[in-house]
Amino acid sequence: MDFHLKLVVPSDPRFLSIARKVVSEVSAICGLPDEACQGITLALDEAVANVIRHAYKNRYDQEIELDCQVNAERIVFRLLDEGEPPDPARICAQPLNDVSLSGRGTHLMRTIMDEMSYKQTSGKNELRLVKNLPRAQVNTAGG
Amino acid sequence: MQRTMAASTRSAGEITIVDLVGQIDLGSSPALRKTLLNSLKTTNHMAINLGGVSYIDSSGIASLIEVLKEAQDTKKRLVLFGVAGAVLQVLQLTRLTGVFEIAQTEEQVLHG
Repeated sequence: MDFHLKLVVPSDPRFLSIARKVVSEVSAICGLPDEACQGITLALDEAVANVIRHAYKNRYDQEIELDCQVNAERIVFRLLDEGEPPDPARICAQPLNDVSLSGRGTHLMRTIMDEMSYKQTSGKNELRLVKNLPRAQVNTAGG
Repeated sequence: MQRTMAASTRSAGEITIVDLVGQIDLGSSPALRKTLLNSLKTTNHMAINLGGVSYIDSSGIASLIEVLKEAQDTKKRLVLFGVAGAVLQVLQLTRLTGVFEIAQTEEQVLHG
């Protein structure tokens, strides 16, 4: 079963819980177990938080578009924003051999998701996060 | 499931226990950091109960690390307990389970 869902949230940390809820439910609809749903939720939360902090420099009055495209093989999440482009060096995951206070979010995204990529699309920053689905996982039950 | 984060503090002998509930994310982690650092000022041994935390992200983890560093710099003891579920998952993914002192239960904190 293929479906497409799009959500636009303010770049305000108060709305992170809404984005998490949507991502969690999408993951569950796809038939993923709880632990996987939690992981994907964490990855997307980290991504949205990074947009708020780095792309929008903690401006809470901007918009973040969360796009979810699901088919039988994968969930493709795209985050789009109109903030500052990321520093390519910062997209690199934090080495985990110390206790520095930054960079773990990117590491979590790379560890949890199967694919992670960035590009610019029509003047917007686009972060693409993909989770592959085990075969025949999407819940096809109606209602 | 409690959505917002809440913190309360109590004492058990020489140990200050901070009980956390709810979800810790970019919105609530600054308050968490402030609460924990303030509590640490008044004790030599602090235990953080994460049993009521249903969600934590890297900003919450960063707050815990900052408090840990402050504890180490001031030669105070910091222990986490009630670490399970989503909290344990994040600590494992970020390979921090060996960085913090983690107890299984409050009983172990008090008498271990």
